[in-house]
Order: sequence, then C-alpha cells, then structure tokens
Amino acid sequence: MKNMTLKYIKISLAVALVFAITSCSDDYLNLDPSTSIPEEQVFSSFESANSALVGAYDQLSKYTFDGLFVPIMSDIIGEDVMINSVDNWNWFVSVYQLNILPSYIFADDPWWQGYKVIANANRIIENAPLIPDVSEEQVNQLLGGAKALRAYVMLKLVEMYAPAYSGNPEAPSIMLVTKTLSADDESLPRAPLSEVYEQIEKDLISAISLLEENDDKGFLDKKGAQAVLARAYLNTEQWEKARDMAIAAYTDLDLATGTELLSGFNYRNSETIFTVAFTPEDNNVYNSIPSFYYPVSGYSSMRANKDFVDLYSTSDIRGYFFLLEPLIDPNRYLILKFTHNQLVGNAERISIRASEMYLIEAECEAHLGNYDNAQDALFAIQERANPIARKSTSTGQALIDEILLERRKELFGEGFRWNDIKRTQGRFTREGDHWVKFDFGPEDEDYYRLTFPIPQSELDANSNISESDQNTGY
Amino acid sequence: MKRLLSILIVLVVFAGFASAQNITVIGTVTDSNGETLPGVNILIEGTSTGAITNMEGFYTLESGPEATLVFSFIGMTTVKEPVNGRTVINVTLSDDSHELEDIMVVAYGTTTKEAYTGAAEVVDNEIIENRPVTSFEKALQGTTAGLMVSSSSGQPGTSATVRIRGIGSLSANSSPLYVIDNVPMANALNDINPNDIESITVLKDAAAASLYGSRAANGVIIITTKNGSAGETRISFNAQVGVASRISDGYNLMNSTEFYQHSWQGLYNAALLDGKTTAEAKIYAHDNVEDIVGFNPFGVDDPLDNDGILKPGTKVITNTNWRDEVYKTGIIQNYNLNVSGGNDATKVYFSLGYLNDNGTTLSSDYTRYTAKVNVSHKVNSFITAGINNHLAYSETNAPPGGTQGANPVRSAEIINAASPVYNNDGSYNWENTASFDFNPVGLAELDLYEYKGKRAMTNAFINFDILPSLKFRTTGAIDYGSDKGVNYYNPFHGNGAGVNGRSSMSNTENLAWNISNILTWSRTKNESNIEVLAGQEAHGESYSVLSAGVTDFSIAGYPDLDWGAKPETPGSYTSEWNMISYLSQVKYNYGGRYYLSGSLREDGSSRFGKNNKYGLFYSLGASWRLSEESWMQQVNWLDNLKLRGSYGTSGNNNLGNYASLGLYGSGANYGGFPGLRPVQLANSDLSWEKISSLDIALESRFFNRLDANLDFYIKESDGLLFSKPLSAGTGFGSILTNLGAMKNTGFEATVSYDAVKRTNFKYTVGLNISTNKNTILSLTTDKIVSGTKLMEEGASIYQFYMIEWAGVNPDNGKPMWFVNAESDDDESSDIPDSAYDDPLETGRKVTSEYADAERVRLGTSLPDYFGGLTNNLEYKNFDLNFYFYFSVGGRVYNNDYATNMHDGTQPGANLSTDALNAWTPDNRYTDVPRYVTNSTDQGRQLSSRFLEDASYLRLKNISLGYNLPENLYSRLKLQGLRVFVSGENMLTFSKFKGFDPEGALNGTTSNSIPGVKVVTMGLKLDL
Repeated sequence: MKNMTLKYIKISLAVALVFAITSCSDDYLNLDPSTSIPEEQVFSSFESANSALVGAYDQLSKYTFDGLFVPIMSDIIGEDVMINSVDNWNWFVSVYQLNILPSYIFADDPWWQGYKVIANANRIIENAPLIPDVSEEQVNQLLGGAKALRAYVMLKLVEMYAPAYSGNPEAPSIMLVTKTLSADDESLPRAPLSEVYEQIEKDLISAISLLEENDDKGFLDKKGAQAVLARAYLNTEQWEKARDMAIAAYTDLDLATGTELLSGFNYRNSETIFTVAFTPEDNNVYNSIPSFYYPVSGYSSMRANKDFVDLYSTSDIRGYFFLLEPLIDPNRYLILKFTHNQLVGNAERISIRASEMYLIEAECEAHLGNYDNAQDALFAIQERANPIARKSTSTGQALIDEILLERRKELFGEGFRWNDIKRTQGRFTREGDHWVKFDFGPEDEDYYRLTFPIPQSELDANSNISESDQNTGY
Repeated sequence: MKRLLSILIVLVVFAGFASAQNITVIGTVTDSNGETLPGVNILIEGTSTGAITNMEGFYTLESGPEATLVFSFIGMTTVKEPVNGRTVINVTLSDDSHELEDIMVVAYGTTTKEAYTGAAEVVDNEIIENRPVTSFEKALQGTTAGLMVSSSSGQPGTSATVRIRGIGSLSANSSPLYVIDNVPMANALNDINPNDIESITVLKDAAAASLYGSRAANGVIIITTKNGSAGETRISFNAQVGVASRISDGYNLMNSTEFYQHSWQGLYNAALLDGKTTAEAKIYAHDNVEDIVGFNPFGVDDPLDNDGILKPGTKVITNTNWRDEVYKTGIIQNYNLNVSGGNDATKVYFSLGYLNDNGTTLSSDYTRYTAKVNVSHKVNSFITAGINNHLAYSETNAPPGGTQGANPVRSAEIINAASPVYNNDGSYNWENTASFDFNPVGLAELDLYEYKGKRAMTNAFINFDILPSLKFRTTGAIDYGSDKGVNYYNPFHGNGAGVNGRSSMSNTENLAWNISNILTWSRTKNESNIEVLAGQEAHGESYSVLSAGVTDFSIAGYPDLDWGAKPETPGSYTSEWNMISYLSQVKYNYGGRYYLSGSLREDGSSRFGKNNKYGLFYSLGASWRLSEESWMQQVNWLDNLKLRGSYGTSGNNNLGNYASLGLYGSGANYGGFPGLRPVQLANSDLSWEKISSLDIALESRFFNRLDANLDFYIKESDGLLFSKPLSAGTGFGSILTNLGAMKNTGFEATVSYDAVKRTNFKYTVGLNISTNKNTILSLTTDKIVSGTKLMEEGASIYQFYMIEWAGVNPDNGKPMWFVNAESDDDESSDIPDSAYDDPLETGRKVTSEYADAERVRLGTSLPDYFGGLTNNLEYKNFDLNFYFYFSVGGRVYNNDYATNMHDGTQPGANLSTDALNAWTPDNRYTDVPRYVTNSTDQGRQLSSRFLEDASYLRLKNISLGYNLPENLYSRLKLQGLRVFVSGENMLTFSKFKGFDPEGALNGTTSNSIPGVKVVTMGLKLDL
C-alpha cells in the first residue's frame, strides 16, 4: 500500500509538473488578437501602409464626417433647404434651429472623427519614408495622399469650428496637429486661423508636387489637392491663387451634361474631382445623403424652401430637382437631386466637382475686376442647365452676387452654403416656408450661431483649451 | 500505514493509563425525543482521550474524577459535563440546526463557521428553490449583507447585476467571480437551474477570497450543486405555475383627447411666439394640429372649439393605450424532476428541469431545459473520483432596448394615443409621428430577435487520500457555451424596409478550461491544528464569433439567409486569454480559541502588459473565540462571541484580452479596397487592478436564540483601469491606464432572532443592513464628465453632475435653471447677462438660457444603505416566509420620464399626463414649462428636473407552504407532498415616477422592459 501511495504521489507530481512547464512557455501568456495587428507590422510594407491610407479615407467617409454630418449640416445651416420637424427622429433639428450646445453629437462627432483622420494621416506621413524596400514613387503616393487628406479635413474643421478668416485671420480656430501625439504629450491649444491656413497651404502644395493624376476619384489626387487649395485660397480671399488652382483643377475635365445632373448624383460623373466612394457593401444605409434627401426609402426629411425653388427660371433644367407631392408632403418641396443607387443610402457622395471650380474662378475674376472672364466662367455653368440662358453683363458687386446665387442653385445640398455665408460675412436671412426663421448680419450678436462650439468633450480632456477659450456665444 | 495507526492507538491507550486514579464513567446519550444516539463523540476536555457511543447510545470511558467530558455529535448541540466523581453520566443532546449550517464551502475546500477567519455568508437552497426567477442570483437580493443585487430589465432570462461590498472599479467589470463545484465559471449564470443548487457561499473579504488572486477583487460567489447521499433513493418532482405582470403602473400617459388638445395648445403657443395675433394663432393651430398628432382621433373633421378644447359630444374613435398593446400577462411554468441516492461507494444525483417564462412584453420570452448528473465513486480506501455534469439549452426572444425604434417599451411610451394599432381593414397601421414605421405590435409579429444557447459544463476530479493527513485533488473542467442569434427585419416596415428585409445571424462559441492540482496536509497535535494547502491552477478561455447577413427578401417571414438576394459583409474573430497560477494557504488553530490563516497566490496572465506579466496576492486572517475561553464559561447566556479580522490583497483582471497592445484593426474598407485603421494605443505597463481590503468583525449568539454579527470593512483599490480621456489631437478618445484609486468603506449588520421556538410553532425574524460609501481617491485628470456624471477625487463614482432646475418662470412659462455662477464648472464666476432674480423667491439667481447655467454636484445613484428583513414562521405543517428588501438613498435620472415631458421638442411623441399641468397664463405656478411645438426652450435638457429619489421598500417574496401530514401522504404512497403559493415583488413603496426604482446601478433609465411581479403556485412530490 505504501508503494501504491508513492506511485500516486509520483503521478500527481508529474501531472502538476507537466502543467507547470507547458504553462511557462512564452506563447501561453503572450496572445495576439485575431483581427488587429501591431503598428510596426502596418508600416512593414507598402501594401499594408497603403491599406492604412485606405483606412483613413474610410474614417473620412463615416457618417459623422464627410459621409453625412458635414455636408448635410453645411446646407441645413442655410436658407435654401430645411429638415422636417416630424418623422425625422429629431435628426439635425437643433442644427436647423441654430441651437447647438457643446455637448451635442452634431458638434462633438465631426470634431472627433476629423481628428481621427488627421491622426491616421500623421502616422502615414511619419512612417512612409521608413518602410523597408519602398520605391520613391510609392513613398510619394503615400505622403501626397496623406497630406492632401490632412489638409482637406483641417479645412472642413476650421470652416465649422472657427469664425471666418475674412472676419479675423488671427481668431483662435482648431488644434494644429501635424505630428503623432502620444497619450503623454501635452494637449494642443487652439491655433490662430492664419497658422492653420498656412499649414493647409503647405500640405497641399507638397501634395500637388508629390501626387499624379489618378483615374480613381475616390482618393484625392493632384487635381483633388489643387481643388482643395482653391477652396482654401477662396476662404482667405487670395483671389489670383484661388483662380489659378481652380483652373488647374478643372482643366481637361468635361462638365457633366444637364441630363447627367439629373441622374441622381449617386455615381461619379465626368466632372468629378473627388468623391466619397461608398460601395454597396460599405454604405451607411440610413445615415447617408440620399436617405435624408430623397423623398422615399429613408428618413426622407429634407425639403426645399419655396422661395429658393422660385429662384430657378422655368427653363432651368435644375428645376426638376424639386417636386410637390402632397401624398408625401402636403406643403413643401421635395428634393430629387440625390438618389439611392441600388440600395437604400448607397450613393457616392461627390465632394468636389469641376462646376464648383468654374464658380470659384468666376468669383475670383469678379473680385479681381476681370469681369469678362468671370461672366464666361459663370455662363459655362448656366448654359448647361438652361439652354436659353444669357450671359451676364453685370459687373462689380452685382456680378459677385449673381455668382454667389449661382453657387446656391448649382451646389445646394453639396455642403457649401454655411461656409459661403460665413466667408463672405453675408447676412443670414431665412424666410419663405421655413419653420424656424432668422435674420441677422455679421454685426449682430446672433452671428456666433454660424460657428460651432468646441465640443465639451475636448474642453474636458484638453489641458490647454478651457471654457474661457470657447467660441463666443456658448 | 496500518502500523502507524496502531502505534497511535497504543499511544492513546497508554496516555489513558498513564494518568493515575482514574474512574470508569458509563452512560447513555439520547436525543430530545429519548431516542438513543449512536456514534456520539466523547472527549475528556483538554486531552485527545475519548470514546464513541455504541449502537445503543452507550459509552464507557476512563476519566479523572475532576475532568470535564465533552459530548459532541454533528447536528446536535455540544454538551460539557464535569465528572465531579460521578460514574454514571447520562446526557441528552438537543438538535442544533444552527450547527449544520456551519459547515461551509469556501475557496478550495470546506471549513466550519467557527474556524473561519474570513467574512463569508452561506445562502442555502431554501432561499433559491421555487422562486420564479430564471437565474439564481436574483433570488439573493436582500439575503446577505454586503451583497447588492439589481435587475435593470424584466426580460426573462437576463442576469442581474451583482456587487459585493460596493463598486471596486471605475471602468472594469466589478462583477464577482462565480465558482461552481470548485471551478471558475466563464459563461452566463442563467444556464444553471436554481433547483440544482445545494448552497451558495458569498466570500467577501481578503481572508475569504484572496486565494482567487487576480480575479478576487470583487468577491467570489461559490455555488455548490446537489449531490446524492448514501441510503434510500429519493425521487422528487416539483411543479410550479406563475402569473407575471408589470411591477407597477408607472406614471400615466395622455389619452388621445388630451394629446390632441395639448398639441393644439403647443401650436397656438408657437404661433404667438412667432408674432402672430391670437386669432391668427388659433387658425394656425387648427390648421396644423392633425399634422402634428398624425391622426384626427375623432369622428368629425373639426373636433376642437375656438380655444382648442374638444367640442362637447364629439365621439372619440381612436384612443390607443399603447402600453396595453405592448405588455401582456406572463405565464411562468417550471417543472423539475430529481433523483438522488447511492451507497457508501457511489453517490449520484441527477435532475431534469424545464422552465418557460413567456414574458410580460411582446416578443419577449425564455425557455430553458436543463439536465444534471453528479456522480462520485469511491474507488478504494484512498481514491475517490467523480464528475459533475451540467447541460442546458435555452431559447430566448428579446426585443432590442434603449432608444432603438424597434424597442417596444419605448414605442409604448412615445407613440401617441391618437395613432391606431390597426387600420380599418384590419392591417397594421404603420403611420405615427413618434416612431414612424415602427408599430410595435406589427413588428412583434413580423420581426424576429431570437437567441438559442447550448451549454455544457463538466468537471471531473480525483481525490487521493494519500495519508490521513495528506490529500491531493486534481480537477479538470470544461465549460462550453454556444449561442446562435438571429435578428430578422421584415422587408416592409421598420428596420428592414429600406433594404427590403434583412437577416443577420451570428454564432458564438465560448470555451473555458481549467485544471487544478491541490495538495492539502493537516496535523493535529495537542490543542493545535495546522492545515496547509498548496496548489497550481491553469485556466484559459476562448471566445469566437462568426456572423453573416443578407438583405433583399422576396418573401416575408423566412429569416434563413438563403432567402436573401444580397449578402452583407460577413465577419469572424477569436479572442483568447490564459492564466497560470500557484497558490498556497496555511491555517492554524489553537484550542478552538485562536485561529490564524494566511494565503499567497501568484497569477500570470496573457491579459497583462508585457512589463507586468505576474501578480502576487496575499491575505492574513485571525479570529479569537472569546466565548471558548475558560474565563467566559460562567456567562451562560453567551453562546458564541468571536472577534475576527483580516487584511489582504487581490486583483481584478477584467481589462480585456488585448488591452495592453497598440493595434491597427481590420475592416476599415473603402471604395472596394481593404483598409486598416488604428484602434488602440499601446500601454505595456497595463496590469490588474490592485485591491487591498481590511475587515474587522464581531460574531455573537445570545440566549441560544439571538445571533448578531457586525462587520466593518475598508476596501482600497489602486491602479484602477481607467480610460483616460484624451484630446482629439491624439486621434483617440482615450487610453486605458492603471491610474485610478478608489475606496469603499461600509458596515454590515446581521441580526437573527428565534422569537418562538416551540415544537409546533416557530418564528424567526432576521434583519440585515449594509452601508457602503464609495469614494474616488485619485484620477488621471481633475474632473471627468460623462453623461449625467462627474468623476472626481473625493466623490462617488456615480456622482450626478448637471444643471440645477429652478422651476418655471411664472411670468412667461420659460424653464429656469439656477445660474450657480460660483460653481467650478466654468472658470469664471461672472454672472451671465441672462441671469435674473428667481421669481419664485429663493433668493438665488436663475436664467432661462440653458447654456448660461453651470452644472453642480447633485448626489449619487448609490444607496446610503440597503438590506433585507426576513420572517420565517412555521406552524404545525404550515410555513410562511416573507421578506422585504429596502434600499434607501440614491437618486435616479429618469430619462424615460424626460422623454414623456418633452415640452414640445418632439411634437408628435406622447406625453405624461403630468404635462397637462404645463404653464399657461392661467396656470402660472407650476413645475412644467409652457408647451410650445418645436420648442427651443431647452426645458427637457439634462437637469435636475428629472432627477428623482430612488429609495424604495419592497415585499420581495412571500410564500406560504403546507406539508401534508405523514398519515395522508403515506396513504397516497408518497414520501412527502408539499403545496405552496408564493408572490414575488408583490408590493413596492416608492416615490419614483417610473415603473420600477430598481434599475441600473449608475442610476439612469433607458426604456428597459419593466420588472415583474409574479404569483406562483406549486407542489413538490417526494416519491
């Protein structure tokens, strides 16, 4: 029996020992996840680094940024379209009411999503030259792509979270993040607008030199970078530079035909410079532009102001963007500009197109006093939509006003109106069948409503931006 | 070994002879009924000499004339008789049911209540059995001091939130570790049939729990399932049927007339504010009211008079009570069959269980089948082997919750009463202005949210009794769970309408394994006893998911993926963690008076960062049984007095499986290209949360009928996992760090009194009460505001932080908030321009501009104290038990109520009838602001307007049982028959406005299925 006991002791000890040994192996206590990889691995080859750039565009396309929030809010803060007060699940109502608080998702989400894209771009910019066995061409592609993207996002953020450059170039704007910040780094303060625009210009000039033209307009290429730079120069009222960039961006592109314009803006067309390239596998379904704009199959809660619809001449083909259908809405104009493609919510969101560049050219030339050129550029847009249109003969402010009006007619729903009012320091006058009306100018206190508050979450986490650095009015 | 024994026996005999002048004492030991007791242990006090009574209860013993004999028998009170020269000493031992409870299952072994140095409490199966709960932990509420149990949903089959001694973590899971039959559990609790549970031990302090190391920080709950016993095989069957309903009616919602009139008023007010004249405003309101409400619920086109009041005699065609449509009476059925028996070598227990709870809410139900086999077999004189096996299969239908459109609970609250459920032709009406296209009744029929779970838990063990003093136990266990979920949206309405139907399916597998090898050695010498445990344990878990979905269905009602035309992106992943542990424990006892214990455990875990792979945890405990001291023996009324204390450390390893790594994640695809995106910042220092706890306690029993225990504890947690918020500039919202520290202190008192102890009538009353104060000691940033809460040093984890409601301005009906300019919410203390003196004369500054008021601290969601009051009565064959649960203090932010008091911001959504009290020029002094369609007054925004007191008292359970007398059941050829009726949650006393003050610990409501009250009838047959 004693032997038996010993035998069992031995067996037990052996069992215990086996587990003790196997469990000490390195693999046992070092496990890796199955759906993510370490950062070093991402920048170990061009292919995976390029996937990081693709991923940055994916972040850009999220509904909280360029997929929906940024473009739709940029028109809801405007005179021409409105969001329904009912059957809309309260989406964007506070935006429409110009009644945004720092804690609202409409202010919070785009800020965070935008900086995510910037941080991803920074990682690519820092790591691209260090990738082993990478060609110069490949590095340029990564660097140029990331810089163009970073500038694009920064421009959107300053337009939303800072007052207009034309009002005060030194006004505090956004955090200027140009390198990867670790958790231990001190958080950044709000940089003056001038510094941010300087960085945007620097990034874009660099991107223009690094990038080639690319057939796939889902990514910012050379033309894309030029177009973004044209916008930045327009905001900072550098008319000549803006004009040159706009022309460079639209050269070789054919304006879409009138009928193409009516085809629903759901796929890239001949004049597309940059589009948010949703695919049926990757669309946002209900959180997308067509879901809100098109009268059926989604939220379908965007309507056009009656006064705005009246601005189109009866021979203007773009009048077909609007429809009165009492079965859907007894009073207000429905909008047919953005349609679904195959699936609910699926549509590429054309973000930059040549028409806008023509209108930038027109506006700049008008400011520069080159009225003929301005009239020509304007007419290129008008004649396509209206076969009996006549070329403008106006000059001076009247011509500029015509061009700004044409921007509304041509580009409504594409995310320009909010910034157009602000950058021109124009009056905000909502009339017609709007259910919330406003009338104020840059001299009025209410003008603060045209600038979003810095999100509360940023104030809470950032040691260098406090309540006292908040935009006025909030 | 036999030789060793004989030497021992000889030694004992010699020892006996060695003392001179011994006399022979004889006697008989009987129980209180006069029956003789065989096997009673008789010991001469202070020696190891003794005897055992024979089959007739007779004993004989050599003893000194001045010695004291100690008579002890399990389940009986111990009696001490001084010999005083007598030669015949007959003794009667009385039952002591108390004594039986004192053998308790604790970490890696068993002990007795007397010998234990830790804070632990045992809940036996009587509390758990036959309660109409799908998961056992819900039955524990109010039974044990220091144990907080809270259910936030009445969905059948969900588990409750359980916290032991407060909340130990800021962000990591603070659930206790569950151990079933010596093996840590990995999956859901509700797969366990409560009727299979023999007992539950709640380990609360370091001395009790630290042996579980990095998983013990939040206490441990040990579940022991039933086992067979030698003797006659017992078969028992019990059946229960219960009727469940919503726990309370909640606040009232407007009927269609009230809502129509109120909407008219809102439009009228909006038009006036827009600058229209009274007459224009009335026209505007008349023109638009039907649009806002969505329906005209009356028989005529123009139902309202000039003042927006329903014209007398107008017939109301539609008045839907959406709550009545969504809620129903639930039926709970529970049947259990179990067989237990065995002989000296083999013992077996097996059971079959069926439970069906068809829920109180549309498309919410739960069905569970369980089977259990526990077998143990004595292979030879020193080897025992056994297996505990548990199988479960469950089917759950659970509609989505929260603010989702398809949440039926939310729909019931917000769809206004003017919206009909059905159209005139009998089809569902999908139009409404609150939750368009989401008719909850229609969706309950057309959509499917179904989950099927399979669970197998097996653990096999072998015990080696190598020497009487040396034992070895090896255990291997597998806990496997597999779940299949189907979410199906019909092609026509609700979530699936836009894509012509969608079906998503997922399969998850959760596998946990555990191997442990434990060696114990004990030795008794003279009055001292030492017990040493050493062991090793390895544990691993792996969780994997496979999911797929399709859209575009040609036909409704068939959720299988085959039917969909367009596939969606499928997904799969696996997540694993491993742990290796070494543990040891020493227990020492001297003379049954002084007890010491110490434990040590080292855990290495794959979850920890590479700089912190191993953690060491220890505990020390001591107790002193004053009542066993010789100088206390004269105090007859004192049966037990024990002082104990412990200190030790433990950890919480719930940090996620890969939380320390810096990672890029997959799936960021764009434009048809595969993409990667950063998902997590690296933190190589990341480690377990460290908890140290101190416990000091007094246990006592007086007059053999009054028990009183008092515990005081301090739990300090350090290195708390905490997502430190980062500036957006980093590209991440936060990084997981070990930087928080928190303290929980509290008292626990338990009193139990046997008020009546007669043969035919017994009455015991008990009270337990716990306090807990939670204080954050350090954070990475001064203040962290999230939602309704502010975390900061010196405050509770769930401290409310919001703008303070000041009521309604009687002059214009606008909401008012206290400015609180001196609050530190804003750096400046300037009074904003919009501030004015409170017209309600509080003497404070108020504002009607929401953004100009500052947030202030407004208490916590955690109760000041909570506990249970239990009453057990037995009269002849009847027994009546009832107990109350109470929770006092603590507040709740009532989101649901806020939604129904929207002041016009969601013009088509239904309102509480409280909103009828809205401000008008004729109703100036009210707490409800003016009602304006599409209001911009912000009155509904987060503020203390919707912060309520969550205190409540609840009759948690009352049950009446009757055991048929023996002459009756034996005539029926039964071994026993019991019938009972019980009520769960029958009465609640609370000022809370919603359905149920019991909810999420953080004190916010989120349109969860309300709790239920249940009346159950049942019977138990012993065959």
